[in-house]
Amino acid sequence: MKLIRLLAVASLLVLSFASCKQSSAPADDAAAPKASSNKVAVVVSTLNNPWFVVLAETARDRAKELGYDAVIFDSQNDPAMEAQHFDNLIASGYSAVLFNCTDAKGSIANVRRAKTADIPVFCMDREIEANDAAVSQILSDNYSGCVALGQYFVEQVGEEGKYVELLGIVADTNTWNRSKGFHSVVDRYPGLKMVAQQSADFDRTRALEVLEAILQAHPDIDAVFCGNDAMAMGAYQALLAAGKADKVKVFGFDGADDVVKAVAEGKIAATVMQFPKTMARTAAENADKYIKGQREFPQRTPVAVELVNSETVHKFGDYGRKN
Amino acid sequence: MAGNPTPSADQPRARLPWPWIVVGVIVVGLFVVYPPLKIANKSAPAASGSATNTAAFDAVAFAGRFWSEELLPATSTATDAGTLLVALRADPAASAKTHAHRVGLGSAAYYFARGTGRITAVERSRLLVEIGGETVAIRTGPVFGNAVRDGTGLLDVNQVPGLAEFNALSAEFNRLVEARVQPALKDAAVGATVTFAGCAEAPESLPASGPLLTFIPVQAELQP
Repeated sequence: MKLIRLLAVASLLVLSFASCKQSSAPADDAAAPKASSNKVAVVVSTLNNPWFVVLAETARDRAKELGYDAVIFDSQNDPAMEAQHFDNLIASGYSAVLFNCTDAKGSIANVRRAKTADIPVFCMDREIEANDAAVSQILSDNYSGCVALGQYFVEQVGEEGKYVELLGIVADTNTWNRSKGFHSVVDRYPGLKMVAQQSADFDRTRALEVLEAILQAHPDIDAVFCGNDAMAMGAYQALLAAGKADKVKVFGFDGADDVVKAVAEGKIAATVMQFPKTMARTAAENADKYIKGQREFPQRTPVAVELVNSETVHKFGDYGRKN
Repeated sequence: MAGNPTPSADQPRARLPWPWIVVGVIVVGLFVVYPPLKIANKSAPAASGSATNTAAFDAVAFAGRFWSEELLPATSTATDAGTLLVALRADPAASAKTHAHRVGLGSAAYYFARGTGRITAVERSRLLVEIGGETVAIRTGPVFGNAVRDGTGLLDVNQVPGLAEFNALSAEFNRLVEARVQPALKDAAVGATVTFAGCAEAPESLPASGPLLTFIPVQAELQP
């Protein structure tokens, strides 16, 4: 009898250790496909900009098409809120995160926490400055787009003139990739003078306010280069209010629908089409492949962007190329 | 003598029953194989930060090495410009599919070609060159864009720490073109022959007028 009791105790011990091992397996072995929830989180920097709404909704919709429950988390351009979203989605056992970060450096910690919890992260549009945290990063080639935009800027404004640059969020690498691409061209022409360079945080209202203030000191500018289309629309509004919309050329970046229309109407000189739908779909498809067992992904995949001006605008619409 | 009995050699010793020994061995074995606790190094995430893009990337050194060790040797196997122009004239899309290189997703594509032609015009920032009845341009003014970086198909963004570094390479390649190649073309004259290798953006459709392609030269030599 005693022997039977002892063997029963031994069996229970074996079973309990085995079950402990089973439950900890995903955390220990990142290569093993997860048998977890069917939920995919879309964490987006902001929904206060139509371009990011398209990015987030396309990612969510593609994930749903692939059979997942997808939920959008709006970080409202606030790294603290983004961190809270990651806390919540880690606690809720999401299977993957389609991620548009608020901060190229600051967001790395969130991605690493998700990775530690065995939740793969797939970056969209905005880069995080780490190569070992996200599974993949599908990124707009912002620099190249602004090289093309800079060349067109010189063609339109000429080799002499005064201009203003409205920068995006200073912590975002896209802000600087765009600015550097633009300046790699424009700075070669010493007759083109930048009279002011100021951040308007990729925000339309902020751009309006910033340019209104700049126009007080520099009423004789020839052009405004804006790091995104929301700021370009804000700048255009400021120029309209100042009675200068016909004289000052505005250049944007994103390919937002309202700006593409404004290019067609001659209100905005040019923008650069990014392809948010392509990036969002690719990120969602990568997540699906990962969940199904694929492990080899290029860390970064640049997505080429294209100049939208009066000559090419007929090719574009609905955040991409017309079919 | 009264007192506690002293154990003697002939008394049986108290022994653990063998099943308890078995259980003990199993427990110890399981602890070894499946440790119930895992010691995690709290500083590990910080240490792995070494894989972030903070490490200095020397675009000048990288581009210089790539230029001499990979780019220039590859010119000998670049597409023949005459062949490329015939294909381009026939079908731009098919030509791009056959001869062009792409980086990442999107429609931008670049050719890498070599050829010899006669200079038909010398303009402010380009030469016009006739090759097999077609006209191409060779850039002699400021160089912008990614034609050299992306044109050969020899470089991938994942060979460098990040996009910023990849972009820095473009700028450096363009500087090398201006410093090392374009000076050889400064005395170009109409009627002279130029032998070159270079990269050019692939057009989606044939231009209504002007040169079919604009090459950024990575190698150029004039013959009177």
